[in-house]
Amino acid sequence: MTKAEKKPVLLPKLPDVCVRCATCMAACPVSRVTPRFPGPKQAGPGAQRFRSASEASVDDWIELCTGCHLCDTVCPAGVPISEMNMMAKAKYLDERGRTFRDWLLVRSDLFGELAARFSKIINPLMKNGILRRLLDALLKIDRRRDLPGYEYPTFRRWFRTRSTAEGATGRRKVAYFYGCFTNTNETDVGKAAVEVLEAHGLEVVVPPQRCCGIPRLGVGDLKGAREMGRRNIEMLLPTVREGIDIVFSSTSCGLMLRHEYSRILHLPGAEELAGSLFDICEFLLRLREEEKASPIFQPLSLKAAYFAPCHLRSLNIGFPALDLLRMIPGLDVRMLEADCCGLGGLYGFKTEKFSIAEEIGKDLTEAAARMNPDIILTDCEGCRMQVRHLTGLRVIHPLQLLRDALNPS
Amino acid sequence: MKRFDLIVLGTGLAGLTAARTAVETGAKVLIVGRGMGAVTLFGNTIDLLGTIPPGTDIAEGIARWIADHPEHPYARTGVKGIEDALADFRGLFPPPYGFAAEDNGNSLLPTGAGTIRPTYLFPVTMAAGAAMIPSETLIVGFRGFKDFQGDTVSLHLKCRGVNLALPRYGLEGTTALALARLMDAASFRERLGEAIRRQMGGERFIGLPAVLGLRNPAAVLKTLEKTTGARVFEIPLLPPSIPGTRVFHRFREELIAKGATFLMGHSVSRANVKGGRCEGIAVENPPLVTEYCADRYILATGRFLGGGLWAEMEQIVEPLFHLPIFQPGEREQWFGKRFFDPEAHPIHRAGIVTDADLRPVDETGRVVLENVRAAGSILAHHQAIEEKSREGIDIATGFLAAKRALAT
Repeated sequence: MTKAEKKPVLLPKLPDVCVRCATCMAACPVSRVTPRFPGPKQAGPGAQRFRSASEASVDDWIELCTGCHLCDTVCPAGVPISEMNMMAKAKYLDERGRTFRDWLLVRSDLFGELAARFSKIINPLMKNGILRRLLDALLKIDRRRDLPGYEYPTFRRWFRTRSTAEGATGRRKVAYFYGCFTNTNETDVGKAAVEVLEAHGLEVVVPPQRCCGIPRLGVGDLKGAREMGRRNIEMLLPTVREGIDIVFSSTSCGLMLRHEYSRILHLPGAEELAGSLFDICEFLLRLREEEKASPIFQPLSLKAAYFAPCHLRSLNIGFPALDLLRMIPGLDVRMLEADCCGLGGLYGFKTEKFSIAEEIGKDLTEAAARMNPDIILTDCEGCRMQVRHLTGLRVIHPLQLLRDALNPS
Repeated sequence: MKRFDLIVLGTGLAGLTAARTAVETGAKVLIVGRGMGAVTLFGNTIDLLGTIPPGTDIAEGIARWIADHPEHPYARTGVKGIEDALADFRGLFPPPYGFAAEDNGNSLLPTGAGTIRPTYLFPVTMAAGAAMIPSETLIVGFRGFKDFQGDTVSLHLKCRGVNLALPRYGLEGTTALALARLMDAASFRERLGEAIRRQMGGERFIGLPAVLGLRNPAAVLKTLEKTTGARVFEIPLLPPSIPGTRVFHRFREELIAKGATFLMGHSVSRANVKGGRCEGIAVENPPLVTEYCADRYILATGRFLGGGLWAEMEQIVEPLFHLPIFQPGEREQWFGKRFFDPEAHPIHRAGIVTDADLRPVDETGRVVLENVRAAGSILAHHQAIEEKSREGIDIATGFLAAKRALAT
């Protein structure tokens, strides 16, 4: 299983490692739908040869990279393409300056708790047509995109005030990194995570934590992302040092914590943290494989499609949620054959990028129509929002279905 | 730690075939590759042995080839082994998008360079290319699609050629994938068919770059043939290969559906070898290194491009297991005098020598690792480029390696 090894990472970061084979051009979701983005081969190693720290950026299209990382996963030469794009995007936006919208959107963690508290007022407001037109006109937050509703009590509050399941104390502990969206917008994912972990004989603890910082990375704000990372590492390392593993249920938060903190942000302590971090399904699957816990799943008669988020692909751990779901008797679960839902986190909320996100999403809509499932399961909150928007189907985290199969009541 | 029945290293055609052959038997399989594998680079058609002239029965031709080349990978698989493996491959592509050969022999297909090239199996979307008559063929390219120049291709093929502007889309600088995606939409291909029909001057064949859709190429073909009234064919072109991408997607879909664990994007950084056996491998996704183990392993990491072979200053090495490599003497003997020498560069013959079971052996013929087998282009004593045997070697040895590995 995964463990951190003290070993210098010799990642060849030179663009010349690229042999121009163009495999990435068969994977990029953006360049397949718009000629405005030249694709990873050109945007990454191609343009990299011409970039200079002392000269102004000229490649304004770099902002169209969604940061899905699919190019990295297919590159046969090991070129860190998305990292090159990220660095170029950061430099370009540092020079151009970020909009107020981008400043605001990446700080949703700061007002999320407050918005949740006043969700009864905020939620209808976010559906208000006039307000949405204003947001569109003034901030360029596309009005055709549903804004996620807030929920109260937050996951954190729910967890703090709940009574621990009987006999759950004194068991092996596992820590849960829930992520902002679970905390304030989709609390049931967090509840399902806790229930499923407890059903596997574990005691769940929730260490202090902040937004992982991936939204800031998305707008090339390396400094802001580094600050979030530094705080999280500080808050999470004591848990790691107690010998407690940490699981995450959002694959994007997970990718950020496990890989980007060290790979892109070079944060001290990141490697130590990464060695104890697991995707929650990866963790559960291992428990079951090692026969440390194997609660029985009750049959569920459903036709389900599983969609693998790009950032899960980038974690490169296979599809542990799919492996777990296949253990539910009666559940007909199949892989949704689509690459990338198109949302790209906050990307698809932005008016100037909305149509790109929609066009990428069309392929997924068609794949879903061919399968005609009752329900779609996916590990990333961004994907869930987009897949709901695209298909109109019930879209939940695999954990929520696993929980249903463990508690048939 | 979870134990797999088989770990396949490499996501090219050899690795994909090995993994698929194994999951068919119910084995727990992990397949791991640094990237998507060479099938998106070369995999337009399935070459078996291009040196056999069209009109000759391929089985007879290969039987003779094996008699003359006892060290060739085909000598390990035998004619029957190749036939079984190809039948399995074809089973993965049921009609309407099937692969076929013509009269059990090689066919000559036009290429995106305007040349004619022999190949054995090709998808239904290329079939008309084998039958095309130059004077009755119109080659259609797209303005702004740099990978395929309709006028150059038609000039070389001695056909008439046109470059169409794409109505409404205005895609200057479009890509193969973007075009393939457009073709998947019925409305687009219907309009394209109409646009082609208006350009036709009585031609009976229409050649297009190989971008006729990713999802349902047979439907694209049908629409275009219906609207134009001509036989339509795809012409293989530069990477990324859309037909190759279809092959890759189909394999990946099948492998995941059958429960294989598919890892892609990071290389295998280390192999643990103990007592003549591989005990595990490590996959590096910085900052983490993850270990996986299995009872058997298949090494299908390709040649120099894929990273399976590595040329140091004085010798060629296999970087993962440090297997003995057959190599043609000193560095100055690796290459011919001219790049396009009709004779293969000696370095192309370098690779891993195996026993009949595809287990790597040393100079004395002793098996080096008893639970590791090699498959695909990493094997020694073939010249896939000159022989035009790349896909045949991949499929036949990938199939055999999996069968033999699981028989133990």
